Amino acid sequence: MSNKYSVDTKKAPPGSITFSDMSWNRTGSWRYLKPAFVRKVSPCNEACPAGNDVEGFMFLAGEGRYQEAVEKILEESPFPGVCGRVCYHPCESSCNRRTLDKAVSIQEIERFISQYEPGCYPQPGQARQERVAIVGSGPAGLTCAYHLAKLGYCVTVFEKEKALGGMLRLGIPAYRLPRRVLDGEIERILSLGIEVKAGCRAGQDVSWQDLMSWDAVFAAVGAHHAVPLGIPGERLEGVLSGTAYLAALNMGRPVGLGERVAIIGGGNTAIDCARSALRQGSRPIVVYRRTREEMPAIAAEVEEAAQEGIQIEWLTSPVSLRGTNGRVTGVECVRNRLGEPDEDGRRRPEQIPGSEFTIDVDGLITAVGELVDLANLPENLLTNRGAIKIDSWGRTSLDRVWAGGDAGTDPRMVVHAIAAGKRAALSIHATFEGQDLVELEKRVRVGPNGHISMRRYLAADSPHQILISETVKPEDINLEHFELVGRVRSRALEPKDRITGFQEVNPGYDEQSAHQEARRCFHCGSCDLCGICFRFCPDLAIKMGDEPGTNRLNEFYCKGCGICAQECPRSAIVMERET
Amino acid sequence: MKKVLMGDHAVSYGVTLSRAQVIAAYPITPQTFIVEELSEMCADGRLDGRFIMVESEHSAMACVIGASVAGSRVFTATSSHGLALMHEMLHWAAGARLPVVMANVNRTLGPPWNILCDHSDSMSQRDTGWIQFYVESNQEALDTIIQAYSIAERVRLPVMVNLDGFFLSHTAEVVDVPDQEQVDAVLPPYSPEFKLDVADPHTFGAICLDSNFMKMRSGIQEAMDESGKAAIEVDNDFKEIFGRHYDVVEPYRLDGAKTILVTAGTAASTSRVVVDAFREKGEPVGLLRIRMLRPFPFAQIRSLLREADRIAVIDRSISYGLSGGLATEIRAALYGTEGSHPPVFGYIAGLGGKDLVPEAISEMISRCQKGQRPAREDLWIGVKS
Repeated sequence: MSNKYSVDTKKAPPGSITFSDMSWNRTGSWRYLKPAFVRKVSPCNEACPAGNDVEGFMFLAGEGRYQEAVEKILEESPFPGVCGRVCYHPCESSCNRRTLDKAVSIQEIERFISQYEPGCYPQPGQARQERVAIVGSGPAGLTCAYHLAKLGYCVTVFEKEKALGGMLRLGIPAYRLPRRVLDGEIERILSLGIEVKAGCRAGQDVSWQDLMSWDAVFAAVGAHHAVPLGIPGERLEGVLSGTAYLAALNMGRPVGLGERVAIIGGGNTAIDCARSALRQGSRPIVVYRRTREEMPAIAAEVEEAAQEGIQIEWLTSPVSLRGTNGRVTGVECVRNRLGEPDEDGRRRPEQIPGSEFTIDVDGLITAVGELVDLANLPENLLTNRGAIKIDSWGRTSLDRVWAGGDAGTDPRMVVHAIAAGKRAALSIHATFEGQDLVELEKRVRVGPNGHISMRRYLAADSPHQILISETVKPEDINLEHFELVGRVRSRALEPKDRITGFQEVNPGYDEQSAHQEARRCFHCGSCDLCGICFRFCPDLAIKMGDEPGTNRLNEFYCKGCGICAQECPRSAIVMERET
Repeated sequence: MKKVLMGDHAVSYGVTLSRAQVIAAYPITPQTFIVEELSEMCADGRLDGRFIMVESEHSAMACVIGASVAGSRVFTATSSHGLALMHEMLHWAAGARLPVVMANVNRTLGPPWNILCDHSDSMSQRDTGWIQFYVESNQEALDTIIQAYSIAERVRLPVMVNLDGFFLSHTAEVVDVPDQEQVDAVLPPYSPEFKLDVADPHTFGAICLDSNFMKMRSGIQEAMDESGKAAIEVDNDFKEIFGRHYDVVEPYRLDGAKTILVTAGTAASTSRVVVDAFREKGEPVGLLRIRMLRPFPFAQIRSLLREADRIAVIDRSISYGLSGGLATEIRAALYGTEGSHPPVFGYIAGLGGKDLVPEAISEMISRCQKGQRPAREDLWIGVKS
């Protein structure tokens, strides 16, 4: 036997030491279990209504591949810059990293990535004959248009306002969502060749009957009518709705409010109104009937409002409005205490007798909810609790009519509107293609409780990647391989500098911060090429790939011990019975 | 330089002076002070070594085995249940012929729960291929650590230095701490001809199913024989530099002794006082302290004990169903001598920290002087009745 190493047998060591390699010993023959490199569902991916591959773009961001990261987002959502700023980020609430230190700051990273232009621009698909009318250019309408155009459809968007964007433009102040960001993303969507009819209100400038002659209609008309307070004095001069106030302001026709302004409500509209009024020179006071705990507004927004010195009267309800010469001068209020939970689980406010007091005001904004304009919908369209009735695929009671977003029964959040737009696009497409939606649902859903992924629909994932519809739980993570690393703080302007105008409050991460924060991602259920399987394998039977999902097994030597699966920090290896 | 040191800290100084490079340990009373001090020595730079925290004694031994294969001088310390948990790895260290040095601070095993001294922990590991020393003082503990590295690296076997829990580990004595230069003179750096090295790849501990296995096993036994000689050589070198030295067995007033006490560890110190008392009364009693238990010093024991009339062995452990381990081995040694040999009275005493007071040792001598032969192989002293 020829040895690679020459040995002086007289000097041979006392213990057993090899002097030739051991490759003859094909330990793979001992195996009855075999590791499979899989991709499970990360909780952030499952939680994202827009179906984003959060884990995937975290990997790319962590590698400094920001252009590819934005391309990945654009596969699912045309609005990374919008969601990176105004989303309520359910991804972060579900992040497994919470069990170690703090959730990854996914939103800030998405926002950072969004400033990159994709190297490969979204392209319209091969042209199809069907024409689709989309009513409303909010996040639902534009997302639907975007995906349909990418699938090759001829799409026309009808918008009652002169400018596109719906609530993104009318409702969200520029200090949260700068207009250049919104304009840029809308422009990118329209570059797919989408026809736009702006200033054209369905039901007035174009009849629903005409629209029904199109091959498909997506009604994403939003909810723009304010819910009245239902107390005396609402018709006084100086009282206006939050939606009207914000729309006027955001369309460049600001309304003067006077010095002291009360805002009634506890949702995002209320906080947006208060902070906008502050920036217009007023002294706003928010009146909310429950406590901060029950407040539906995004907590960070409430926090920022408080930093800016906005007064919030908790546990307070307006009883009536007082006026002089037809103009509002005060709001009579009563204090509440919290009673039993109501049907949505939040504790119901109960008025405390004798606690009445008055707030003197020069103006008052109502922001206690928005309604769909039901009077201006196609005939015979069924509604449900003040919104268009839809099924799980966004189909309405009328043939060839889909609906979604605020106008449908979806949660009234931007990201749910984006989800509704995508759902309608895929539903319309599948209907034209004659595909079974029940079967389709199984294929395109990200995890057992997840949302629709276009990437899954288009089967864009590597054919080598084994996708498993199982969500990674905190206990599946091997925390031994992670160190405590604090969340990178975002840079917010000082409150005194914010309130001088409508400049963006949070300038976002710089590159170093974004990169550092992205590296905190656990990559639950997905390989990130950390190499721990390779290092722990006693048989050197793992060959590392260049991209996630390309690690390979050397079957001659893997003896199926399972150490790789046990050690994998992210639960992306499973042991399977040898076949 | 003279310092007042507890036995545990004397060991720590011995390890640092030996320039150990990798230390892995898991704490257990009464050993903990050793590695606690070493961790601080590593942290503050007094020792240029890596201290590795591990999750068990099994891992501690596995870790130093790995470091030793990679060519480092290594150390660990343990006691009692910790040593028991290492058992598998003790075989590995010896089978792989690695010069690992370990301090074992003798403590009994539970239950009943007990953290105090006896020798049942190390006596249970006699068959693992480790050289074993039992020391009597803190000075000897420090010195034996240094000698242990010399012996281990010459014969390629691991060495266990045993010191009595609390009697030495937690008791302060004056210790002459040698100068580093002097230690360097007797202990050159460790540099094995084969070690884990990516530039020269070998598999260590690889499979071996043929007669080479028998050869490697007999090689361990040969190395044990060699280590008996190496211990004497190393001690001679040590004596030259430091003026102190330690025999593998230490006779005390054996001239004309008719009754000879045999024991190991701190019981020898008490025994010396008792021997002196008997000698004052004109009774020919002597003492033989066993310092090196593995390899067992057959030759020295035979020549020193064969002329006695009675032998009383004090064991701080018992092999249940047989007798005290030391007594059994003394009997085995004498069985190999020509002609008749003296009866061996095997006393079991001082278990679980029970004090071995002079009165108890006197009782053993008196009892064995009365009987022709022992009534049993095991004679218990100090059992609550």
